Parts: sequence; structure tokens; C-alpha cells
Amino acid sequence: MDSYLDKLPEFVDTIKSIKETIITNIVLIGQIPAPTFKEKRRTSVFMERLADFHVDECTTDGYRNPIGIVKGTSETKPPIFVVAHLDTIWGTDIDHYYTIKENSITGAGIMDNSIGVGVLVSLPEIFRKLNLRFESDIVLAGVIQSLGKGNLRGIRHLLKTWSTPIRGAVCIESNELGRLNYYADGMTRCEIDCNISTINGWEHKFKPNAILILNEVINQILKLRLPQRPRSRVIIGKMSGGFKHGMIANDARLGFEIQSNSDKMVKSISNNIKDIVEGISHEYEVELKLKTLSNIHAARIKFNHPLVKSTVDVMKKLGLTPISEPSESELSIFLSRKIPAVTLGITRGENYQQTNAMVEIEPMFKGIAQIIGVIMAIDSGVCDEEYLA
Amino acid sequence: MKSTWLEKNTFHYSEFNDLDRLVEEKQRKNLKISLCLPTLNEEKTIAKEILIMKSELMTRYPLLDELVVIDSGSTDKTREIARAYGADVYEATEILPDLEPFKGKGENLWKALYVTKGDIIVYLDADIKNIHHRFAYALLGPLILFDNIKYVKAFYDRPIAIGKSKIRPTGGGRVTELVVRPMFSLFFPELTQILQPLSGEYAGFREIFEAIPFPIGYGVETSMILDIYEKWGLDVIAQVDLDRRIHRNQDTRALGKMAFVILMTFINRKNKLGLIDLKEDLFNEMIQYNLVKNEYKPDIFQIEGHERPPIIEIPAYREKFKK
Ligand SMILES: Nc1nc2c(ncn2[C@@H]2O[C@H](COP(=O)(O)OP(=O)(O)OP(=O)(O)O)[C@@H](O)[C@H]2O)c(=O)[nH]1
Ligand SMILES: [Mg+2]
Repeated sequence: MDSYLDKLPEFVDTIKSIKETIITNIVLIGQIPAPTFKEKRRTSVFMERLADFHVDECTTDGYRNPIGIVKGTSETKPPIFVVAHLDTIWGTDIDHYYTIKENSITGAGIMDNSIGVGVLVSLPEIFRKLNLRFESDIVLAGVIQSLGKGNLRGIRHLLKTWSTPIRGAVCIESNELGRLNYYADGMTRCEIDCNISTINGWEHKFKPNAILILNEVINQILKLRLPQRPRSRVIIGKMSGGFKHGMIANDARLGFEIQSNSDKMVKSISNNIKDIVEGISHEYEVELKLKTLSNIHAARIKFNHPLVKSTVDVMKKLGLTPISEPSESELSIFLSRKIPAVTLGITRGENYQQTNAMVEIEPMFKGIAQIIGVIMAIDSGVCDEEYLA
Repeated sequence: MKSTWLEKNTFHYSEFNDLDRLVEEKQRKNLKISLCLPTLNEEKTIAKEILIMKSELMTRYPLLDELVVIDSGSTDKTREIARAYGADVYEATEILPDLEPFKGKGENLWKALYVTKGDIIVYLDADIKNIHHRFAYALLGPLILFDNIKYVKAFYDRPIAIGKSKIRPTGGGRVTELVVRPMFSLFFPELTQILQPLSGEYAGFREIFEAIPFPIGYGVETSMILDIYEKWGLDVIAQVDLDRRIHRNQDTRALGKMAFVILMTFINRKNKLGLIDLKEDLFNEMIQYNLVKNEYKPDIFQIEGHERPPIIEIPAYREKFKK
């Protein structure tokens, strides 16, 4: 059953033999801007490319996630999902044209997630080149509205409306080769807005400063006692406010996330912060608005789950050392629906989340072989009930 | 002026995206096709052009038989990168080394005729940021499918890149609109139907290219059109809309030099054809002024205006191609 493991090293060379096509897909799709909520153009190029490779079924789901299905040999086995998010943090006014050198590709969004998306679209051709047929259908989905305010809507919708069971899933990220994510922390993402109204109502004797108010909120959050176990933390991640150097700030905004591997803990910290916000609002007589932007439930498969074990074997066979951290991406949506899944990275690079992000080409071929290995493992049954029993 | 040519011989790239059909026709007609990329310091874009063309039009659809890069002595990594991605790379000076060497894009295009084997040659500039295989297959479409077409020229709705990371949707083509179009209107109104005579992307049969002279520099596009028009008429020419081409934005001074070369080529060509009568030779210096410390200093740019003869007249060529 593990015979596929031995083939992996030679897969790397075969995959490399069609590197032109893989890079072409990365470039043709990645160069189309796709800020969250505006993925339409990238979606149609994604579909065009899949159709061009004669993928059995190319379609979009009801939420406009583009999907290609490579038909499997079995009528009964549930499908395997392979997903990569299509959206990027860059607007349409940013130059998305890539520069390719002997061993690198540079440009906006290449690391998040053009490599992932380009590889996803190349899989049908890679399967063909490697002479691989699977029992399961392979569902290749580029999911939209994933990042930031998108709040993983694309993948949530795709899985919610998918009517049949799903055997297992692989989520692809450009970076970083060696990651193996199989658990997601519970998370609540919030924003606090502080607005000192200047028009109606009575004038403050000492006009409060919105930034200082939020500063007080931060101080009190930092005073919260967070347990080591369940592992929990609050990340103060964004702050903005004020108008001019010499003027008391009328408005300020704070963005943070509560993360824990226990949903209960997230809830309890969230309640504490609500109390803090209410208290300060009352004491300083200012308006503080606490808004929850998104929620993710803690979910995981165990380290000794056969999917994780086989993934580790695949990676080791390719000389990769798996590194595991919690991940709040597409993965968490699969896991929360009890679908075994892992997230893997394709290559290495630098300047992550900058317009001059750069990735190395050479490690990519191992990164892809690893994806193939894991799909083969799932197809051989490592996520199936019988196997687990 | 009748503009029937424009209606009949203007196409859109999407008319040629049935690549299976192009390959089939190409094979039926037993044609060999070469792609040539002239380069001078194009390390940023050259790999992309090679990769995409190789993947889409060589590996996936066998439309191109070879891909050559002819380089004008780049000082960046253009040649190394091009080789790394599997192009046949030449320095222009290595080709026909017994001839006096000149430097310019036209020189490279001309010398490409000697090293390529194709019955059809596609020329693409190597600085196309949004390169896509349509740039090649759509230029080939009319040549492969329609027997009367011998030369195909690209046109675009040209956005230009401004600054490092912003792009703007319209503009470009100033030399076309301010120099070439007025000139064509004055002398050859029919040719105004060619919407972007200066576009650097075109394809044609070897029998056309080998029979016309090539100015070594910027004049090559204009002179090619004039010569083909004079020799074979407008009906052998087609133009294809390739949608968008992202172009770097050149400053007015650079465009001035380009305009100078084009005017020079044009006037000399008309003179040679006996269409106008020059009383004396043209000057060969473009003079632009700089204000340096309150003084106007001329900045003189000399253009030799060299021109290569039809390559069919070169014995080494005739021998190689048994002509
Ligand atoms: N200018 C120039 N270009 C050359 C030379 N040799 C090859 N080339 C190539 O010829 C193509 C066209 O040159 P460009 O300088 O881009 O000319 P252009 O397209 O008219 O002008 P741009 O608006 O700057 O793109 C490019 O692929 C160049 O790399 C040369 O000696 N001089
Ligand atoms: Mg150019």
C-alpha cells in the first residue's frame, strides 16, 4: 500500500519536465489582480485554463467558486478536494506583472497565493504526465473571498452546499514548503471603534482623546490573565486613528484577534473584553463600539490520524521536515465539518505580503510531489472510516 | 480612399484560438515556423516570453518549431536567462561575422533570417509584460489559414505602465499618431488603415522578409510596411487585434529620436522609389537642447541610417537556403 512513497522522488523529475506549463499557469492566472470580493476576472482565467487542459467538468458553484473535476474510476468513493484561495490582498491598481529569473519569480501576490493557484490548475496535466488515475473524483477548487473581510466565505459556501460526503482534502498555499497544518485554533476577530462625538450632546469639560481611550482598553486587555492551557492569546494586530499631530483624536480603531485551541476559552476572553469595553465606555463617557468580524471554531485531527501520519511519511520521503502550527484558513472549515484535511506549502521565498514578493522555482517541484503523494494517500483510504476503525 | 482593406483584412485574436486547427493546417501545408525575439537588456521579461511560448505553442500544441533569441550585446543577464529556459540564443555579431557589424533591432531581425529555418517567421518584442501565447498564434492564424496573406501585423488597445506599480488604461502610440499617421495620410492614405504601423510584433513568410531591405534601427517597422506595400500591395497584409499590450512609457526626448529615425527612413525610401525629389542629402543628426547651468547645450544624436540589403542578395544566405 505504501508503494507510492517510493515513486515520489522520481515524480519530482517528471513534474519538473513540465515546468514551463506550471509556470505559465502561475503567471497567466497570478498576473490578473484579484482583491477579495473582486475575483471575477481571475476566476474566468482559472476556468479557461482548466477547460484548456480538458478537465472533465469545469463549472462554478452557486457562490462563483471556480471548480474543475477530474473524474475517478470508482462510482462509490467520495471525492477528494484540493483547494487554493484565489483572492489576494492587492488592489487592481497594483502592478501584478511578474518577473522571472533563472530560479525565481517576483511580483505582487506570488506568495499568497499565485503559486498555489497555478499549481492547482496544473494538477490535471501533472496527473496525466505521471500516468495517475484515482478512484475518487478530484475536485479542484479555487475559492474566492477567503482573506480578511472575505472571512473564508467561498470555502464555507462550497462545503455547505456540497451535497455528498467528502473523503479528505488538501489546501495549497504558495508558502512555505515544509508546513503541515492539521489543526485550527478557535478565533474571534474583533474591532473596537471609539468615536468622540463633536456635534450633539453636551461638551466634555475635558475632551477625551480617542487614542488614549483605546490605549486604556489595550492596557486592560493586557492585564487579563490568560491560561497556558488551553493555550490562548489575544493579538493586538491593527490600530488607526487621529487626524493631525496637534489635535486631540476624535476617532480611533483597534483590531485584534482572540485565539485559543479551546472555543470555550475564546468565548470567555471575548466576554471579558466586552466587560472591559463597557466599563471604559461608562467611566469615560465615550461611545465604544465592539464589533465581531468573524469567528472560527477550534478543530483538529490528531497527530496520529492516518492522514497526518501519511503526510509526514510523504514529506520525509522527499527530505522535508514537517513543521506544524495552528492555521485559521480553508483548513479550519474542512476540519469543523469533520473532513480530514491538511494544508501544505509549495515553495520558499521572501518579502511575503509585499509587492516584490519573491519565490524560488526549484523547491516547487518537491512541493508539488508532496501534494500528489498526499492525494494518493487519501485515495488509498487513509481518511476512510474502515481505515480508522 | 476606400477602406475595404480594413474591413476585410482586420481580425481579432479570438478568431484564431482553435489551436488544433492551426496545427492541423500547418502540418497539412507542411510549414515550419520560427519565433524570433530580438533583445537588448530584457532580463525582466525574456524568461516569461520563452516559458509561455514553449509551454503553449511548442509542448502543448506543436505550432512553433524553434524559438531563437537574437541579442544586441545585453549587459544584464538576458542571454543567460534565455539559455536557461531553453531558447537558441545568438549574439547578433556572431551571425554572418564577416559583415561589418551594426547595432539595432532591425539588424537582429535581419540576421535572424540567416539562423532560423522556418517558412514563416514570427517577430515579437522581448519587453512584453503581459505576454500571452495569443501574441504568436494570432499573428500566425491568417498566414496559416488564408493563402493570400503573407504578412501580419499586430495592433492593440495600448495601455502604458506609469511609475513602478500603477497602470493607466489608455494612451501610448504618440509617435504613431503624431508622425507616422500624418505622413501616411499625406503620401499613402491607404496605409492609414494599418492601425499601429509601429507595433513590434509581426509575422510573415520568409519569401517576403528575404526580399526586402532592413534598416538596422527604429525605422525597420515603417520601411517594412512601405516595401511590402510597394512590392506586393496591401492585400497580402493583414492586421490582428491582440487586445492589450503593456508598454513602458518613454519620455518625449526618446520618442523624438524615434520620430527622427522614422522620418529619415521614410523620406529616404520615398526618394529611392523616385516618389519625391530630394535636392540634397538629409542631415543625419538629431539635435536636442539641454539647459545646463543657464546655458543651452545641444545634445546631438547621430544616426547612420544603415540599411541591410535584402538578405537574398547575400551569397552565404543563398548558399545556406539553396536559393
Ligand atoms: N532599442 C533597441 N532595441 C533592441 C536592440 N536590439 C534588440 N532590441 C529589442 O527590440 C525590441 C524593441 O525595442 P524597444 O527599445 O522596446 O523599442 P520600442 O518597443 O519601439 O520602444 P518601447 O516603447 O521602449 O518599448 C526589444 O525587444 C529590444 O530588446 C537595440 O540595439 N536597440
Ligand atoms: Mg518595446
